[in-house]
Amino acid sequence: MIEAFFFGAGSAQRFATYHPPAAGSGRLLTIICPPLCSEYMRTHLVLRELAIVLSGKGQHVLRFDYRGTGDSFGELAEVGISDWLEDIALAVQEGRELSGCTSVQLLGVRAGALLVCKYAGARDDVQRLVLWDPVPDGAEYLRVLKRVQASIFERNRYLSHRERREAMHEYGGYWLSASMVEGFRSLDASTYSSVPKHKLHVVSTSPAADLPAPGVFQGVAGVAYGWETDLEGPILPQPLLERLTACLTLS
Amino acid sequence: MSDPVLTEEPLQFGEGGRLFGILTLPATPARTAHALPVFVLLSAGALHRVGTFRLHVRLSRQLARMGFSSLRVDLAGIGDSPRRPGLTNQESVTADYKEIVSVLESRLGQLPLVLAGLCSGADNAIKLTPGDPRIVGMVLLDPICFRDDGFKARALVLKYTNPDLYVSWLKRRLKALTTPRRKRKEDDEPLDYLALRNLPTREQVRAAFLSIRERQGRVLSVFTQYALPYYNRAGQLGGVLGLEGYPQFCTEIYWPQAEHTYPLELHRRRLLKEVGNWAGAYLRPRLNPCPPVVRLQTA
Repeated sequence: MIEAFFFGAGSAQRFATYHPPAAGSGRLLTIICPPLCSEYMRTHLVLRELAIVLSGKGQHVLRFDYRGTGDSFGELAEVGISDWLEDIALAVQEGRELSGCTSVQLLGVRAGALLVCKYAGARDDVQRLVLWDPVPDGAEYLRVLKRVQASIFERNRYLSHRERREAMHEYGGYWLSASMVEGFRSLDASTYSSVPKHKLHVVSTSPAADLPAPGVFQGVAGVAYGWETDLEGPILPQPLLERLTACLTLS
Repeated sequence: MSDPVLTEEPLQFGEGGRLFGILTLPATPARTAHALPVFVLLSAGALHRVGTFRLHVRLSRQLARMGFSSLRVDLAGIGDSPRRPGLTNQESVTADYKEIVSVLESRLGQLPLVLAGLCSGADNAIKLTPGDPRIVGMVLLDPICFRDDGFKARALVLKYTNPDLYVSWLKRRLKALTTPRRKRKEDDEPLDYLALRNLPTREQVRAAFLSIRERQGRVLSVFTQYALPYYNRAGQLGGVLGLEGYPQFCTEIYWPQAEHTYPLELHRRRLLKEVGNWAGAYLRPRLNPCPPVVRLQTA
């Protein structure tokens, strides 16, 4: 049975779902940091399934939504990178209090990978970071969102010129604040290299993907999810689930 | 929960806590002489309660700021609600609905309901409405419609008078010439999205609208470019249903510029505004529950 709740104080609470361990004493806490924008919707199913599998293997798992995303409060256009880093920190704290665990590992998906590495950096209280299809850096992620925006324009043959002009400033169908854009630009590839290599595990679905931190473990699930071309198709758990589970249950 | 004007509460309800949803309540109930309906936002397809591009979250909070309560829910098999084994989709939705009504009554008492949904969410709203007298409203995003006599002629005009379609055709031809033949065939395979839906019949649609009319309720229908294969004129749904008094209780929006899932923030904001305006009529005295004239709008 999951436990869903809002956490954090003030006027911008975050939504989380806690999966207690279905078996065993549960000494390890996994925090799932989702991707953003349309990728959030596409990965909801697989990340929920992953949480169920991990809790079945005796882990405490916490899924949460950053402010301005999912069921959390706030609007995307009103939050910045520092807010999301704060959200990760609070989610870790909340997960620790709920589970009583001291060992924590983080899963970061796409831009979520960049955020968890920025959060974790050289912290010694995070045991492992698993990154699923991490974006290369913040600037490239913004370019991806702009390409997504261009593909929305291209496929919509009925959009008026006025609407096209008005939507030009959107990023992948979303309004981002100036501080958010600046924040992403400041997250370069050194964000990954700030994390000790032995803690990083990358699961990439593209064999051609550039590793954000050369030399770290890479598991190729052998499927293509078209992050830039498919905005809505849900990502099915198999075969990725096995690879992610393997990484997150390494002893 | 957190917003000065609303509260939110995650709910696990139904048999064994199977269903998951989030109840949104206004911090201060609207001061009206009549009971305001509660909005039930039905999940659509594989999308969970958050809705397409977070539409349900924003809609439920906007409605709460106006004084309405709502429940955005994961139907069984979607999001955080596990599937009901051994049931057909329709049986499962019917069972879900009973549990939704039950939890809402236990929390808020017996109140009228408005069902809202996109795509299969609209299909479910239409199928559920005749069977429950509590339902006094529907917000249907890309519901099914039926072609009328002028449909084909209008489709031809639409096709041959849109310069962007020529540009798009040229681009596709150019792309086809530079794409290996085998791959091109796969890419161009059209997907019949309607075939994936368990569509209500014309009789079911008619029955739903008749029920709403009898209950002095209201319906908002929004048709995007997704609906162009079967809907291409503001007022077409009213025309094919042929219901007396349709303009008095129905609002129909023809919006071919918008896509089915509203991937542009520009369109989502406009949609939220339209739904908000439509819902606002519930705040007026019951003596005049419906807008006096139908608004058939080409966006």
